[in-house]
Amino acid sequence: MDDQGCPRCKTTKYRNPSLKLMVNVCGHTLCENCVEMLFVRGSGNCVQCDTPLRKSNFRVQLFEDPTVDKEVEIRKKVLKIYNKRDFDFPSLREYNDYLEQVEDIVYNLTNNIDVENTKLRMEQYQRENRDLIQRNKATLTREQEELEELLLLEQQGNEQRRLEVLQEEQRQLQAKRKNKQALLDELEQSQLPATILLAQHKVRAAQLETQIEQQKQTVKPTNLFSTGIHMRQTVSLMAVPKVEEVLYHYKPLQVKTYGPPVPELEQLGRLGFLNSPHSYSLLQRMSGLVSG
Amino acid sequence: MKLNIEGLLVYFPYDYIYPEQYSYMLELKRTLDAKGHGVLEMPSGTGKTISLLSLIIAYQRAFPLEVTKLIYCSRTVPEIEKVIEELRKLMEFYSKETGESNNFLALALSSRKNLCIHPEVSSLRFGKEVDGKCHSLTASYIRAQRHSNPNLPVCRFYEEFDAVGRQVPLPPGVYNLDDLKDFGRRKGWCPYYLARYSILHANIVVYSYHYLLDPKIADLVSKELAKKSVVVFDEAHNIDNVCIDSMSVNITRRTLDRCQNNVDTLQNTIHKIKETDAAKLREEYRRLVEGLKEANVARETDIYLANPVLPDEILQEAVPGTIRTAEHFVGFLRRFLEYLKSRLRVQHVVQESAPQFLKDIFDKVCIDRKPLRFCAERLQSLLRTLEIADIADFSAVTLISNFATLVSTYSQGFTIIIEPFEDRTPTIANPVLHFSCMDPSIAIKPVFQRFQSVIITSGTLSPLDIYPRILDFRPVTMASFTMTLARTCLCPLIVGRGNDQVALSSKFETREDFAVIRNYGNLLLEMSAIVPDGIVAFFTSYVYMENIVASWYEQGILENIQRNKLIFIETQDAAETSMALEKYQEACENGRGAILLSVARGKVSEGIDFVHHFGRAVIMFGVPYVYTQSRILKARLEYLRDQFQIRENDFLTFDAMRHAAQCVGRAIRGKTDYGLMIFADKRYARADKRGKLPRWIQEHINDGSLNLTVDEAVQLAKHFLRQMAQPFRQVRSTPATKGTEQVSTFVVWKGRWRHGYRCLNLAFQSQQLNNFVA
Repeated sequence: MDDQGCPRCKTTKYRNPSLKLMVNVCGHTLCENCVEMLFVRGSGNCVQCDTPLRKSNFRVQLFEDPTVDKEVEIRKKVLKIYNKRDFDFPSLREYNDYLEQVEDIVYNLTNNIDVENTKLRMEQYQRENRDLIQRNKATLTREQEELEELLLLEQQGNEQRRLEVLQEEQRQLQAKRKNKQALLDELEQSQLPATILLAQHKVRAAQLETQIEQQKQTVKPTNLFSTGIHMRQTVSLMAVPKVEEVLYHYKPLQVKTYGPPVPELEQLGRLGFLNSPHSYSLLQRMSGLVSG
Repeated sequence: MKLNIEGLLVYFPYDYIYPEQYSYMLELKRTLDAKGHGVLEMPSGTGKTISLLSLIIAYQRAFPLEVTKLIYCSRTVPEIEKVIEELRKLMEFYSKETGESNNFLALALSSRKNLCIHPEVSSLRFGKEVDGKCHSLTASYIRAQRHSNPNLPVCRFYEEFDAVGRQVPLPPGVYNLDDLKDFGRRKGWCPYYLARYSILHANIVVYSYHYLLDPKIADLVSKELAKKSVVVFDEAHNIDNVCIDSMSVNITRRTLDRCQNNVDTLQNTIHKIKETDAAKLREEYRRLVEGLKEANVARETDIYLANPVLPDEILQEAVPGTIRTAEHFVGFLRRFLEYLKSRLRVQHVVQESAPQFLKDIFDKVCIDRKPLRFCAERLQSLLRTLEIADIADFSAVTLISNFATLVSTYSQGFTIIIEPFEDRTPTIANPVLHFSCMDPSIAIKPVFQRFQSVIITSGTLSPLDIYPRILDFRPVTMASFTMTLARTCLCPLIVGRGNDQVALSSKFETREDFAVIRNYGNLLLEMSAIVPDGIVAFFTSYVYMENIVASWYEQGILENIQRNKLIFIETQDAAETSMALEKYQEACENGRGAILLSVARGKVSEGIDFVHHFGRAVIMFGVPYVYTQSRILKARLEYLRDQFQIRENDFLTFDAMRHAAQCVGRAIRGKTDYGLMIFADKRYARADKRGKLPRWIQEHINDGSLNLTVDEAVQLAKHFLRQMAQPFRQVRSTPATKGTEQVSTFVVWKGRWRHGYRCLNLAFQSQQLNNFVA
């Protein structure tokens, strides 16, 4: 970025951080000072390509590559005329062909290929489709509408959340204050000893805390209808996809033992299962340190 | 031993089994029966891997049509190798018991870097270089060019594999990475492509998370894996972060500059090709007009795993006319790039949502949402058409195009944060655009949708219910198992105060406090005097560690500690750290042992085990909260609150405690191991923190060890260590192998009738007991 500079006076951004680069329709840069100096009369020729330019058409350069600035400028102009929407075409394929055609025009104009013809084509198109252009100018494309909608939703969500948090805090504060006041009142009036009252208060405070916790957990955003559809959303009329899911069916287990049958409870002792595996000597058993 | 798990015959390669392993298998079996997903927690060192493997393989053998494949995802190469070794043991046991050679094929898969056997390519150091070089030898058009020009370099292993390798399937057996390489060398086939091809028909695949979760890699490797597979994510306590990282994009000034070069190269190549071989571009154009039908058919017939970068809408439509021809697309990329550059030129932090970004990009450079959505796919097509050999070079522009597709596809779950400089260095301009994913469920959703059972398991997954919430799935089983111990070999202590009664805490207000730092120092000093062999100490961050160590040095504490043990420090440099680790282990083997100072969330805390004398005590200085001022984290917390009703504090605590548990869990890697776990922060004593530790640690924290001073902790530790130092016979901890003994040890051992009966039942089924009963 720092190495960008004015091609005429050779000032760079590095040397003069406040340098402002300007660009005109031809896509060549000049710094603000040079523009002021060269175009005192309001019009003149480009230093690099000799295109006649007007001073009022100079813009601050937004991008590092001035050709992109130029292209965007041209594109905006072209799109004002070529503003058909996808529903103006019988099929998507034709719409895509149309889009490519627009793209071609922009490409030609930016790269100075066949400029005259292209301009003629544009004018002709404009004449032919005047009504359509006028009509489409007022409406946004579907995608943009969607975007706007999303943005609106987002804004509302944020606002609502902020309010909710605020209210919640207020409520909690009040509840706590009330609790404290109640304790003071009781201490003043009750006959019970203070320790019991304090203990009660402690329990109450804990309950309050848990209540608040629970409330926090159950807070649900209210921007949904009970059907699960977002409020203020355009509802699509497509059928809701059905979730096919086989429910888990519990089958009682059937134990296949790969061995003899398991002994009954009372048999266990008889068969010696409960005996210790260690065979202790008489002496050990007598010592009482081991059992069995 | 043979086991009966609810009617399923399971071969278990060891002669004894822990009760928790049995219950683990039981839960696992139920999950598989229900064809659902499960979350299972079991402490490390209790044989989680072998339980998993033996049950799932038994299930596969019993119901070969229900479960066709096991996909075992682990984190690192050593872990993958460990799994394969266990598997080998199991398979040997199978063939010994059944007497027939089974036809199971199990193999590990890793990157080209670990599998390449080409003499030149495999000698390269970085994974990216290996990939790029390999691609430049094996890409389809390179090989096509070789027909006309035989002088081009060639990878003979790949050629050989391509010629014959696909006809002959890999013989059944268990292959780890080295086995694959050996096999490849013997046959002269490329092991990497062989493995990638073989995973399609293998019964068991062991590989890294990224092969399933990273959309770019998953699309290459895993998209054809069968639906009836069981997917296991082992050590999955960090799985949400892996998901998020795989979907997030960070764009710096350098990325954009490299991208600019890429775009220029693209343009030049297009010019060249237009002059020489215009038909190729026309062919591509025709294909794009037709639309991405092939991909669509494949997805509809359910052959492929869905790819979050390639949303469904794209497949049903043709590429929009604006980016159909190559020049227009390059122009489009250029505009997009310039727009990003202008966005990176900000002076202050910007945070915006995807819709805001899209609106702005339309206003500034007239780019619609639709072409953006097709950007990634269109670029891939162009790269294929232009036959550019070195794909690695084009990583920058691929990244940008992925970003374009993601930002236009998902209006929720992502946020864009542009920071002009790093927080630590506010004077140095280093603009970064973080396109950060906040919803881990986006990346993992295809996995849950596609595979019939997904098991998430680790030693530390507490609290269990948070994982289904943040990953957005419905598990059929959730269970946490504890460790049955013959002796209490772990001793968690919460040290809340110093000897001078100053509260110990790493919280922001007190972290600079001299008293706290001194008390931490005293704790380490006293412990270094009584603990034999190795001590590992974890700090909450590198900065905090540096500060503390510096002030310990000034106070002379370090010198005192060094009288007892050597000190090693983990740094951010990986090579330095592994050196320190090596020396630490050497020091533990000799003499008085050593202390390793490391950082929670660092390399040491995640993958390194400190078995036996390498870690007799772990000290956790402070609670390892993440850096809460980070904007990405804040955005994520907000999202969690709004979408999943998880409060900020809950998530932060959960995250801190899972890391703390990971750190202290490093010391206990088995039942014969023992170790102290010292939590040096008074906040650990609170119920909300303590309750989020895994059950097997929580069980051993009693009320007496909640708010200790350093002195008290030392007394308890001394007592514990003295007890542990007594000779310890294996027989008592684990049921003996001999039949008769086995039964009664189980019964006597736990003393609980129900438990005893179950084990009894178990043991009966093991054949060794037959004689005894008869």
